[in-house]
Amino acid sequence: MARPEERLRCTKEPFIEDVGTRRIKSIRFSMFSGNEVRQSAEAQVWNSRIYDQDMRPVPNGLLDTRMGAANKLGECTTCHGSFAECPGHFGYLKLVLPVFNVGFFNCILDVLKCICKSCSRVLLMEKDRREFLKKMRNPKADPLQKSAIMKKVRDKCKLSRCPWCDFINGVVKKGKAGLIILHDCSKTLDGSTEAIRSALSHKKEKISISAVRMLDAATVLSLFRRMIDEDCELLNLGDRPEKLIVTEIAVPPVPIRPSVFVAGGRMSNEDSITVILKSIANTNSILKETLQTGGQFTKCYDCWQLLQLQVVEYINSDSPSLSDSQHRGLVQRLKGKTGRFRGNLSGKRTEYTGRTVISPDPNLRITEVAIPILMARVLTYPERVSYYNIEKLRQCIRNGPHKHPGANFIIQPDGTKLHLKYCDRRIAARDLKYGCVVERHLEDGDIVLFNRQPSLHRMSIMSHRARIMPWRTLRFNESVCNPYNADFDGDEMNLHVPQTEEARTEALMLMGVQNNLCTPKNGEILVASTQDFLTSSFLVTRKDNFYDRSSFTLLCSYLGDAMENIDLPTPALIKPIELWTGKQLFSVLVRPNASTKVFLNFTVKEKIYTSREAMCPSDGFVYFRNSELLSGQVGKTTLGNGNKDGMFSVLVRDYNSHAAASCMNRLAKFSARFIGNHGFSIGVDDVQPGEHLNQQKKKKIDEGYKECHDLIASYSKGALTLQPGCNAAQTLELKITGVLNQIRATAGNVCMDTLHWRNSPLIMSQCGSKGSPINISQMVACVGQQSVGGRRAPNGFIDRTLPHFPINSKTPAAKGFVANSFYTGLTATEFFFHTMGGREGLVDTAVKTAETGYMSRRLMKGLEDLSVFYDQTVRNASGGIVQFLYGDDGMDPAKMEGKDGKPLNLDQLFMKVMATCPQRGHDTLSPGEILQILNVKLSEHDASSDDSCSEKFKQLLTKFLEERIKLLKNTRRSLHLDEDHVGKKDSSIEECIAANISGISAKQLQVFLDTCLSRYHSKKIEAGASIGAIGAQSIGEPGTQMTLKTFHFAGVASMNVTLGVPRIKEIINASKKISTPIITAELLSGKDVLSARIVKGSMEKAVLGEVAESIKIVLKSSQPNLVVKLDMQRIEALHMGISADSVQLSILNHPKIKLKSEHVRVIDKAKLRIYPAGIDKCKLQYELHNLKSMLPKVIVKGIPTVERAVINKIGDGYNLLVEGTNLLAVMGTPGVDAMKTKSNHIMEVNRTLGIEAARRSIIDEIQYTMKSHGMNIDLRHMMLLADLMTYKGEILGITRYGIAKMKSSVLMLASFEKTAEHLFNASYSGREDQIEGVSECIIMGIPMQLGTGILKVRQRLEHLPEFKYQPDPILS
Amino acid sequence: MADDDYNEMDMGYEDEPPEPEIEEGAEEELENNNEDAPDDVVGAEGEEKDQEKTQRLRKTSKYMTKYERARILGTRALQISMNAPVMVELEGETDPLEIAMKELRARKIPFTIRRYLPDGSYEDWGVDELIVEDGGLLEASSWRGLNG
Repeated sequence: MARPEERLRCTKEPFIEDVGTRRIKSIRFSMFSGNEVRQSAEAQVWNSRIYDQDMRPVPNGLLDTRMGAANKLGECTTCHGSFAECPGHFGYLKLVLPVFNVGFFNCILDVLKCICKSCSRVLLMEKDRREFLKKMRNPKADPLQKSAIMKKVRDKCKLSRCPWCDFINGVVKKGKAGLIILHDCSKTLDGSTEAIRSALSHKKEKISISAVRMLDAATVLSLFRRMIDEDCELLNLGDRPEKLIVTEIAVPPVPIRPSVFVAGGRMSNEDSITVILKSIANTNSILKETLQTGGQFTKCYDCWQLLQLQVVEYINSDSPSLSDSQHRGLVQRLKGKTGRFRGNLSGKRTEYTGRTVISPDPNLRITEVAIPILMARVLTYPERVSYYNIEKLRQCIRNGPHKHPGANFIIQPDGTKLHLKYCDRRIAARDLKYGCVVERHLEDGDIVLFNRQPSLHRMSIMSHRARIMPWRTLRFNESVCNPYNADFDGDEMNLHVPQTEEARTEALMLMGVQNNLCTPKNGEILVASTQDFLTSSFLVTRKDNFYDRSSFTLLCSYLGDAMENIDLPTPALIKPIELWTGKQLFSVLVRPNASTKVFLNFTVKEKIYTSREAMCPSDGFVYFRNSELLSGQVGKTTLGNGNKDGMFSVLVRDYNSHAAASCMNRLAKFSARFIGNHGFSIGVDDVQPGEHLNQQKKKKIDEGYKECHDLIASYSKGALTLQPGCNAAQTLELKITGVLNQIRATAGNVCMDTLHWRNSPLIMSQCGSKGSPINISQMVACVGQQSVGGRRAPNGFIDRTLPHFPINSKTPAAKGFVANSFYTGLTATEFFFHTMGGREGLVDTAVKTAETGYMSRRLMKGLEDLSVFYDQTVRNASGGIVQFLYGDDGMDPAKMEGKDGKPLNLDQLFMKVMATCPQRGHDTLSPGEILQILNVKLSEHDASSDDSCSEKFKQLLTKFLEERIKLLKNTRRSLHLDEDHVGKKDSSIEECIAANISGISAKQLQVFLDTCLSRYHSKKIEAGASIGAIGAQSIGEPGTQMTLKTFHFAGVASMNVTLGVPRIKEIINASKKISTPIITAELLSGKDVLSARIVKGSMEKAVLGEVAESIKIVLKSSQPNLVVKLDMQRIEALHMGISADSVQLSILNHPKIKLKSEHVRVIDKAKLRIYPAGIDKCKLQYELHNLKSMLPKVIVKGIPTVERAVINKIGDGYNLLVEGTNLLAVMGTPGVDAMKTKSNHIMEVNRTLGIEAARRSIIDEIQYTMKSHGMNIDLRHMMLLADLMTYKGEILGITRYGIAKMKSSVLMLASFEKTAEHLFNASYSGREDQIEGVSECIIMGIPMQLGTGILKVRQRLEHLPEFKYQPDPILS
Repeated sequence: MADDDYNEMDMGYEDEPPEPEIEEGAEEELENNNEDAPDDVVGAEGEEKDQEKTQRLRKTSKYMTKYERARILGTRALQISMNAPVMVELEGETDPLEIAMKELRARKIPFTIRRYLPDGSYEDWGVDELIVEDGGLLEASSWRGLNG
């Protein structure tokens, strides 16, 4: 009995962090020699038979029991473990002849290229050898550099005669078929071979000596064995080269290739590896026999080749040297999404997991998730019995596994597990001791992780509190739909139960819904009210909503479950009866009682806002002052997601997440109950157009059609005035599209105007809960133009869209304009066009998910290990600095309040301070005093605290206060008061008014500045934050929302820029060739159109054919020539500045026309005479015509790579958009302001301006692309990505090549792409992987060094209470 | 024997014999002596000047990060769940995590945080020296209250 007690005491041991020696510190990759294989094996395999007649494994067969149990029935004879216990043991198979290892084949080839095929020394002169060896031995050289040196060595080893033994070396190359290495000496033959050949030719028999010899594996092995160690080092070999060649095969343990009996145990189904090994063993024994019996050489050789191919198949069954293989080799087991690396090591299957359909429940709090009892009885949490919970756990045990708050197992301190189904539960409960672990059912308040795929950002998996409920679905508050991107049309979600106290705590503190209300993408709120909640808030806050005492109190009671006190506000109307407004209900919702110290202050403009702020006629200006809704009908902008100024955002920032969460809970409960009574529905009558609308619509459509017909008529006459940069057809398309869109828009406007204000779709679109004005007008008025690929419907038939229309018809109806509404119904052709448009959308989503998924994966792999360290630097796992200060200011993007990543929204904060801290008779400050206080405060702050705030923030603050001062001055000026000196508040009425309008008291300013500074500091990024992963998600997740191929007009018509996912892909791939390179050139005299035209003219390429009036052949007796006459009028008109001299120069510089200056003669300003170069009379005619065809293509002016330049008007100035590359030439063009000229081609920017400019350009380009899709992403994420891509000094794309250059870890690279290649290369060069990064740590199961793993916790001793072991003295 | 020990806990946490801690502590002290980093807060009792000196040497933020908070609470909750003596007066809390939060609020968690800098050096900060921002703490305590 003593022993268990001693064990029991173990439960009291404090947490001891395992810092012991057993942590895997690094992994070294190397190769096994045949000897090592033999030593680590338990059995030799030579028998190709697997089972004997009785289906027992044959000794020395592939399923020899010494290598482990083959299936559940078997037992390992080495360790006597069962199938479940014994991991198996290796065996070995000795090959009669050595064969190449396919994985190392290229390495073998490289080594052979470098060594003498006779003496095995490196084919380098001694001097070069020493130099390379020195470089290779440089301790600072990283593996990447070493392999680069190795490549250099390989290229240098071109000596045809070995400097050590004078052997003649040829070229080593791969044979055409199979794994054959050829040594081709044909080019390096010297006289002796010639002599032999000539001697042989005299012989009668036909003996040809070939200079090409084959290097078989045995030869190569003997060559490699003779290599000296120093040469191995030079070739970056981590080990002896003979290990590259297979002499013994390690036969993997049986449990990893289980054998399954079929057909009642008479036959067995073998794993691929067993099958391949079986054939290897078979071939091997045949080969052995043939060799021993002295068979034919060709037979032996064929057998050897077969063995080679079988070994290849064993290692990599996808190898190109195999024709086709049905088996899965070793490489195939590791590779790919379901391979070992990605499928089993980087991600694992788990227990304590549930999945079922989800449904909404507004009565749950946003932090809760309802779990079906059925599920709760299976999912358990191992709770350790302690003083506090023993009674509860006893009850659980008594309830057992079938009654809900029960338990399934008891784990005794000695490790025995007791199933409560098969024991007396009463006794078990009675005997429960401290230190036991009870696997109890999930209960209310337990912490669970909740997840929906695709998990695109960290908010896709959050921790909730469990709430055990009946029925069969997982339920949660609709407000949390947004982060999961969930709806309830049959979605399923996953649930995980963390199993330790630490895991629960970390889940709650870091992944809790409350701590993830805002997205780190840009700081906008993500968990917020949706759909019905918005509708009911909109309805209840309507201007003319009044409630008497009974109905208002009823509404108030909806807010909670009678758990909160509610103080009824003063009624808005007292006589004739007390009436409350709906807006007052919102005030109650925010601040239910006086003890809730929440003073909400903000203003927001709703969608329906028109003008005049709080006096907006449509009541769209939401104004909260001290938690009272003064004006405005609340809608999505106030309550919804994707906003920084809304109610919940302000609550999170000004108070805490709990305040926001409880408001959301109240709103959810209220709106579900309110709208249930109020009723809100949609029917056919809601989309019935009125008579007026029908008339208007008919009129508009008729007008529009007529206009289109006119356009088409003038097009066919050729009288259409062309738009810049377009041809006639394009112009027509543009114009017709414009007209048709106009029709839809006006019809929509009329429709929205004529709808009744109680119309449900209208209400929904106004408050933003669902649907847009376009959706409504499509239902009521007109569906509008259907587009495919951004154009009108394409021609599926010959010159027409459908056979219903005449050929070449361009009328609106024939090109997919749907004039009907969904209410009136579509005609057959309209319906067809509509399906065309619909299908494009479907195809788009299907294609883009795959594309963006891969992009996200690459981004994640590239950025996963970047984190903030305690010195505020951003580094990767191996300590390389990527940023000195995160985002240049060290702020957390998730906590940013202002627009464009500014830390604070000063307007709102100022308003709050003014409202919550009224002046109360204190005198206001004069402008001078305000600035003085600010400066004193800032300098004081700098001096006192160790981490001061950034210069940018100080500027922001100063600028804001200056703005306020200006306002104050304006107010005082309009009241005819002294601007700079503020008098006493009670001195005059004007003073009092001025103070009330824009005065600031000293106290207010003090409070404001203090809040600003303290809040600024709380917004700093915390050490340990894995901002790399956050950044990758923040860029990857919006990608899924971008429509795949969108083109966008950059200011000017007909200038397309690639946008959307393709553009993002180009940027992060660091593509050398991008689809639309555009250089934006600023002009030195940007206001002048003429100068812009001149610059444009000098940039655009002009060929001689364009500027020449004529190019004629003049055949005269003296000397035939070509006469080129320039069109000077045109040249003048276009300001091209071309003269005959410049043309002469460009002709001379043309690479294909080989003329000298004497051949091209300038006759006058506009005339040139060109004489053919050849003197050969018979070729003269040909020469002349050749010249004539070449001359028009000579570029006489401009940059050859520039396609065209477009003058772009911005404001009152102009700039040039240059389509094409060659930034350097554009910058050098006279008239271009080189300092301000930009290009969207990142690689070119890097070439011309350097890496810093390239970094900036990456940031700008991603930002621009995201912006043009209406996506707002914090700049800091882009900065991090750009820094990662540039921090090595060259631009590295986030592709497999780029990532391989950024990361040093083999495991990480292997788990990304090209698994086998990385592993083979690593073992060739003997790489070592320090387990530091995220991927490696996950693979090895080690806590990683970021987040909570960045620190260590140590037990403190001095605070331990002093324990007295003797009783207190009775008298003291 | 063990049972008796646990029953004594009714009287209050002070009566808990701290044997495991002492054993653990002995090791710790040895380690501390071996390392000559400014983690001697342990030894510098009452010597305010010394403490100031060590404080000035430390460069990292005086705010506790959320990761530190999560880690400390997790570790402490685990200890408490394994019947470690509680450092604060309890008011009916039974959830180890809640108790740990209460301890953190009272700054009574007997831990030191070792913050590693990228060069391998480290700074030791006592939990009571760090400023804890009250964000998630409020939520957990109110969880049961509101639920009834």
